[in-house]
Amino acid sequence: MAVIEGAVIYSNLIVLLAMGLTLTYITTSVPNFAQGSFAVFGSYIALTFLRFFNLHPYQSIPLGFIFGGLLGILTYVAILKPLIKKGATIVALMIATLAWDLILLGFLGAYSDYLTYSTGKPAKKYIFTYLDFHIYNISAILIVSTLVILLTLIGLFFLLYKTKFGIALRASMENPDLAEIMGINVEHTRLFSWFLSGALSGMAGCLLPFKQEIVPATGAIIIVSIFAASIVGGLSSIVGALLGGYIVGLSESLVTYALSLIFGTGILVYSKVVSLIILVITLLLIPKGLVSVKWRKVIKWRGSIS
Amino acid sequence: MAWEHILTEIFLWFGLYSIVAISLNIEYGYAGIPNFGRALAVLMGAIAVGGITNRLLIAMFGISGNFAVASGIVKTEVNEIISSDPYFGIGLIILSIVIAGILGYITGAIFILPSAKLSEDYLAITLLAISEVTFMVSYYHPDIIGGYYGVSTPDVLAFVPGVYRVYIFTLIILFTLVITYLFAEKLLNTPYGRILRAMRENESVVKSYGRDIMVLRVKTVAIGSAIASISGALYSMYTANVIASSFSRVEWTFYPFLMILLGGLGNNRGVLSGVFAFVVAKVMLTTYKYEIKSTLHLPFEAVWLEYVLFGIVAILILYYKPEGLIKEKPIITKPIRTRMKKNVICKTTSARS
Repeated sequence: MAVIEGAVIYSNLIVLLAMGLTLTYITTSVPNFAQGSFAVFGSYIALTFLRFFNLHPYQSIPLGFIFGGLLGILTYVAILKPLIKKGATIVALMIATLAWDLILLGFLGAYSDYLTYSTGKPAKKYIFTYLDFHIYNISAILIVSTLVILLTLIGLFFLLYKTKFGIALRASMENPDLAEIMGINVEHTRLFSWFLSGALSGMAGCLLPFKQEIVPATGAIIIVSIFAASIVGGLSSIVGALLGGYIVGLSESLVTYALSLIFGTGILVYSKVVSLIILVITLLLIPKGLVSVKWRKVIKWRGSIS
Repeated sequence: MAWEHILTEIFLWFGLYSIVAISLNIEYGYAGIPNFGRALAVLMGAIAVGGITNRLLIAMFGISGNFAVASGIVKTEVNEIISSDPYFGIGLIILSIVIAGILGYITGAIFILPSAKLSEDYLAITLLAISEVTFMVSYYHPDIIGGYYGVSTPDVLAFVPGVYRVYIFTLIILFTLVITYLFAEKLLNTPYGRILRAMRENESVVKSYGRDIMVLRVKTVAIGSAIASISGALYSMYTANVIASSFSRVEWTFYPFLMILLGGLGNNRGVLSGVFAFVVAKVMLTTYKYEIKSTLHLPFEAVWLEYVLFGIVAILILYYKPEGLIKEKPIITKPIRTRMKKNVICKTTSARS
């Protein structure tokens, strides 16, 4: 039971991060290699408020949302927008996000040193599990992470389908040129997508230390799962990211657990290999991701075989 | 640290990084394949030295037991042999380089396969993911190259007195660099090199001339990885202690990208100048890290400052000087040169008449 619980919590977080990555990929068409560091940034926001204001990480989720969103906006305005204006290629933009990831790693590392030095408590390697509690025998992190996902989805649904801004947003995701002709400011939607991407990662970051140990370089490891989830989803739709996140997150935890029953617990550290295998299989079979599969055709094809 | 140490350090790293940067230049600068998994090939070089050559030696000497312990025993035995018989050491260097090249070639060809048909961004993501996961597995798994603690390898230059070891090694690395440079220059001035540039500029055109993009990509990454792997092998033999954690993404993927951006994509002379500028800055930063920390009263380690600085430099280059220090020049072959001369003569004669 605890295994499934852990798997669901982990998948919830991967879903948040994959949705963030997919959002910015749809509007800016550059994969954000700094997405993992966005999450670690959120973890450090939570740690800061815990250490200095004694705020429980669950209470700092809104703060993670806001600060993460600001980081997302900063990424777009300071790094990507000037380059896009200069007509940089996609590879140049990818290298820029890779560089931004390194800059963030530098800042996070420096900040962790500073935090250790000023509070005298560990900040270079920390975990929040001791802060967690139980509600009716269910761990709070499961409830909180699921609630965060639900609220995000409901919020996104209302925003995208019930408001004028949402319509404009969807239009400029589908076809930016056409949307621009219709008088929609595509720049706004891009900015908003980066805000949202950072905000979702910030929230995921606040919850991540409940699931795994955080060091400044955690982002470099978790990025593999985020990419796998987004690519399985197809990098082109939020629903895809949702599906991909659960597929990758659940199988990463459950497959490794199943293997650990056979080969011993030593195998647990190789959980990312599972993500990688899923990623490679997806690229070989359905490079455009799950959402590109025409299920009716698949069913027909299966029917014709049997 | 005395200046001659700093100078050797600069030349040593210049050699190592230049080999990697040239390999990346073949792949990204010429062929336009953004290999965000360069570190993997360098790690393969380390595995060739620590994992394969070591095992061969263990089998040769018939030592049994745990891999880490056995390689420790082999190290002392082989060191004794090398100190009396230099040819054994030189043979070991050549053997390791050959194994590294082959291993790198095979790995490069395999690891680009899942994404060889895809667009640049998918390619970059997949290569990065594969490299990152392999890095993690070889760090955790004790049977590849000793995992967390690493594995010690024989000192291939045990016959050289300790004081001169670093100088000799720097010379070996620089010699390898010269060969690599000449090879890359030669390779890229063949029709194959020109088809790579064509592929970078416009894949559809290359396709329409009947060339298979996938085959070209696989071949190019295989060659590039073989070269990068040799650099990893040299580095591992130099430290005589292989540990996976020294083959991180920052050091062997991001920094090489920074160097070729700094120097100028698609021309090897530019790349060398970029590597030199980078290495001087990096060696200075690492040499004086304690001085930097104390004079600036930093409440953190100087390595974080290095990350921030190099990250900012990369973005500034992308913004202000995307062509790098030295711009790529068109290749002028003999027929083109004669035609250009003719044109000039025609123009001058027509101007006269």
